[in-house]
Amino acid sequence: MTPPSDTDPDLTRKERREQARAERKAMEAAAAQSAQRKRMIQLGGVIGVVVVIIVVIVLATSGGSGGGSGLAKGSAANANIATVSSLIKGIPQSGNVLGHPNAPVTLQYFGDLECPICREFTLSALPTIVQKYVRAGKVKIEYNSLETATREQETFRTQQIAAYAAGKQNLAWYFIELFYHEQGQEDSGYVTEKYIQGLAAQVPGLNLPNWSAARNDPTYAEQVTHDAQVANAEGFTGTPSFLLGKSGQHMEKLEISNPEETSAFEAAINKQL
Amino acid sequence: MSDRTIRTAMIVLATIGLGVASYLTYVHYSGTPPLCSTTHNTCLKVQTSIYSKLAGVPVALIGLLGYVAILGSLLVPQREETRFATMAFVLVGFGFSAYLTSREAFSLHEYCEWCLSSAAIMTVLACLSVWRFLRGEAPPASAPSATAA
Repeated sequence: MTPPSDTDPDLTRKERREQARAERKAMEAAAAQSAQRKRMIQLGGVIGVVVVIIVVIVLATSGGSGGGSGLAKGSAANANIATVSSLIKGIPQSGNVLGHPNAPVTLQYFGDLECPICREFTLSALPTIVQKYVRAGKVKIEYNSLETATREQETFRTQQIAAYAAGKQNLAWYFIELFYHEQGQEDSGYVTEKYIQGLAAQVPGLNLPNWSAARNDPTYAEQVTHDAQVANAEGFTGTPSFLLGKSGQHMEKLEISNPEETSAFEAAINKQL
Repeated sequence: MSDRTIRTAMIVLATIGLGVASYLTYVHYSGTPPLCSTTHNTCLKVQTSIYSKLAGVPVALIGLLGYVAILGSLLVPQREETRFATMAFVLVGFGFSAYLTSREAFSLHEYCEWCLSSAAIMTVLACLSVWRFLRGEAPPASAPSATAA
């Protein structure tokens, strides 16, 4: 059976009109189908571009952190923040000092944020001292810097100034504690601007714009220089090193052979109380 | 649903999204803590996290610019190209929102209500813009089918 055509003389006028309408509908349907196919291709193209953009962002924001960088992420970072918060939350802080301002005894802690032994002390003996003496208002701890483990002086100053700048918001001890908790491999060059920024971002309640501004405050650079002068005058060559004494009075060197153990600290502090 | 209705709904959603992004941008630059219903201000944690910036640019500002682009594409005279542009802007925004929400869920384990509301707006906008684009152009008022009636 052959299809009827316009020129078929046997077709009535009505049939020819219906035939033309059918052909027009078929052409419109084909055009619509073609347009739809084109739109699907365009949609696929956009989705493809979006996927590429997101993959690039994910790779860019994942690179350089985690896995040896020292900076904890996700649940590990949350665990560190929770540990540090439970240790020092509620204890007064002022600049680089942790503890009640009128605490009768002061312990000066000279440390290098990249020093692994300082980390051992901070994670093992220090929590007991904090819980037993600092939280009770008997001792206040002043953190001072001394460059030992950090290879580059510029890096040492940058990381230390970053910690002191957090002290402007009375959050220096959060920064210091988190730094030690998330300390990376020594000499691996893990302390980058991204690391410092990432660490600051973990400090609960730290106003980052204000902290960033405070990093340019020359006071903190002078403080690092002053720390070095004090440490030099005391003859300190390693970290952690300590000075202990009654608050506002002469401080004496505290020789500790094993900074991971609390007993020597307790004995010395009890003598001062 | 008419194209006009969909477009109006999208303009309303994009305006709300623009408001959210503007507020978060203001919070970022002013240093004030964002309003948050949670007691320990999870919004602040998210807004000050390492993921709050992309290449040094606050993501809130990126969002604001995105909403401006979406709104702009909806307010100009509508053609096939503008509908495509709206869909492209929205899908990029949707992908970015999905990435940020995944960071909240899997990296930070904290959620910011403002970010989630923006992500929800982007999701609805994405559905509407794709639907609107795939539907194609509505028949013009002077089309033969309209005049024949």
